[in-house]
Amino acid sequence: MPSAAALRLQIEHSLERRFPAALTPVPRTIRETAPTGIPQVDHLLEGGLPIGAISEITGPMSSGRTSLALAFLARRTQEDRVCAWVDAHDAFDSESAAANGVALGQLLWVRCKAPNPTAKPWARLDQALSATDLLLQAGGFAAIVLDLASTAPEHGCRIPLATWFRFRQAADRTRCSLLVLAQQPLAQSSAAVVLECTREDCSRQPEESPSQTVLTGFTYQVSSGRQRFTPYLAGQRKPPASTWSTTTTAQRDARA
Amino acid sequence: MTTHLYACAHAEEFPAQALLRLRTDLAVQPVVVLDGRPPLQTVCSLNRPARLKGASLGMTRLEAETIPGLHILARSQETEAAARAVLLECAAHFSPRLESVDESTACACVLDITGTERLFGPPHTLAERLRDSLASAGLRASVSVSVNFDTARMKAATTRGITVIPPGHEAVALAKLPLDALALDEDPYETFAIWGIRTLADLAALPESDLVARLGPQAVAWRNLARGALPHTFQPIEPAFTLREFCAFETPVEQIYSLLFIGARMIDCLATRAATHALSLASLVVEMKLDGNRAYQRTIRPALATTDRKFLLKLLQLEIAAHPPQSAVLSITLSAQAGQSSKVQLGLFAPQTPEPSRLDVTIARLKAIAGEDRVGSPVLEDTHRPGSFRMESFAIANPTAPYKSTIGLKEVPSRPHMALRRIRPPANVRVQLNALKPISFRDREQSYRVTAAYGPWRTSGCWWSTDPWDTEEWDVLAESSTGSSLACLLVHNRSQNQWQLEALYD
Repeated sequence: MPSAAALRLQIEHSLERRFPAALTPVPRTIRETAPTGIPQVDHLLEGGLPIGAISEITGPMSSGRTSLALAFLARRTQEDRVCAWVDAHDAFDSESAAANGVALGQLLWVRCKAPNPTAKPWARLDQALSATDLLLQAGGFAAIVLDLASTAPEHGCRIPLATWFRFRQAADRTRCSLLVLAQQPLAQSSAAVVLECTREDCSRQPEESPSQTVLTGFTYQVSSGRQRFTPYLAGQRKPPASTWSTTTTAQRDARA
Repeated sequence: MTTHLYACAHAEEFPAQALLRLRTDLAVQPVVVLDGRPPLQTVCSLNRPARLKGASLGMTRLEAETIPGLHILARSQETEAAARAVLLECAAHFSPRLESVDESTACACVLDITGTERLFGPPHTLAERLRDSLASAGLRASVSVSVNFDTARMKAATTRGITVIPPGHEAVALAKLPLDALALDEDPYETFAIWGIRTLADLAALPESDLVARLGPQAVAWRNLARGALPHTFQPIEPAFTLREFCAFETPVEQIYSLLFIGARMIDCLATRAATHALSLASLVVEMKLDGNRAYQRTIRPALATTDRKFLLKLLQLEIAAHPPQSAVLSITLSAQAGQSSKVQLGLFAPQTPEPSRLDVTIARLKAIAGEDRVGSPVLEDTHRPGSFRMESFAIANPTAPYKSTIGLKEVPSRPHMALRRIRPPANVRVQLNALKPISFRDREQSYRVTAAYGPWRTSGCWWSTDPWDTEEWDVLAESSTGSSLACLLVHNRSQNQWQLEALYD
């Protein structure tokens, strides 16, 4: 009995004139990427975060999502590109951004605010989504960070999928990398990349170095939960879905 | 000897025309303009539909109000001054030598068009172009061309359309005009009426010596005027180029869209006028007189000088929507500062940046959503106070600069720094200490057990001012009662002995 590979080869050979590589998936388009500046993450993503697509950076508090986004923005702004940070909870720290190398003059910061102290939590969310929509439609921004990292997942899940689909289309049209910082994945199938961040324990305890007055040696773990537009070589079968994991180290800068 | 050639542009019923120039909705409606102090107001100007309705000059307000469908407007000197500037500006495109010859309710100017044939064609073509130019600015005018200054003036004032009088035919062209066309200051009309002199041809036919013997030496000038032979010393004026439009409303306006209707027309006029001087609008100043004797002023500065009407109107709309007038609007003035037309040459390999005009509109919309001071670029303050920054308006830095290589330009840290996420305003927490180190803390929602605390990091400053700070910072790793962990920045305000959760590491 001929093997499956032999049968496949035979079928493809007989249909070669009408359907080239009939049983082999067509090669996918390889997306242009921009490096994040963190070698481990770039290696994991095989180049960096995709341009013209939605990337989600998810994880709990203190898992390195903001550090990763700032590292990416630092690279983009250093290339004299214009970026934007849509801050749903007004949590952006400009000193951290500057310390990470972000050119603040190239960054448009939109600080959403609740219309009044008793406003519902999704009032800020509405503002952030409207602002992102406007920025995507305006075009010319190399990267837009939609910071929903402090938004409760139950509120973030209320964002309609149509909104994410529209963002995806607009990002694709304007060649903008839209980064979404959240606690859980929100964009579903509209996201090209989903990175899951977690925090590992601090490498040194203060008891080991009593004179230490600042936090150092922080280690984050980043894994890719979802990745579309994977480079694919013709003639090979589609590989099974897999998960990568890597670690990256960050440290608190000296406060002198 | 050079033969001079003059063209006169005469806009009759100027008070009505000036008001209707920006009010295109009333252009085909019957409109009369009242002048004078209430209640003794009389009609000083009216348009053709109003005349057909039965309105006439000199009618009182009461009489005008009895005519159904008649729009009654008040005369506005500011509007007329703005319209007059437009008329002179249009005329100045055809000749730099202008003389103003205004008459009662008409606005007129005479152009010295000697030697302009090679630029604008024969006199008739020039007259047509001048009339079209005025029409595009919203003014209807009759144009007359003659080698004699006063002949051109009188013919334009009494004849509609375009008239070109060939040299030597001045007397014939003026023959049928009534004596009123002379517009004399003195009142010899009664004498002429007694003599049976009704037209300029009758006056021109009188013998000069007999006329002087009866009416004095000034009668020679009148006779020459009627014959189209009075010499004139040209007194040119130099109209100032000011981009300003004014419109007063007959009733106070409360709706923004009604203002924008007028604003669109004003921007259109300003942009057209600037464009004719090869200029653009660098800034727009909106001034409004509000009900209750209050004033309103806003300035719009696009990133690049432009003449794009839709773009400027959008900026105006967003500005007024973000800062609405506090009461009804009585009048609106739009003045602009002219700037050089923007020329941006981008490099072939330059990174893509937002289009400046589109970015202006986007930022204005973002400000409408988030707030005036909450959109921009952060700038770090020159201080050691933690978390201090100020917001500056966002602008793309030097869009004309050639693309620079990214190698070695600015320093990017080799390893990423831990980023802070600020909590604004900082949350007050209750902290439990052991040997002066935090061991647990509690905010409004839950309590945390400190697993590691790094600190204290003491900072202080501005002790000489009214806003000093003296704090002690602790980097803390904590676990909540629900099992979640976080790394945060606890700050102890030493002067107030208060602990606050100021930021989270992320």
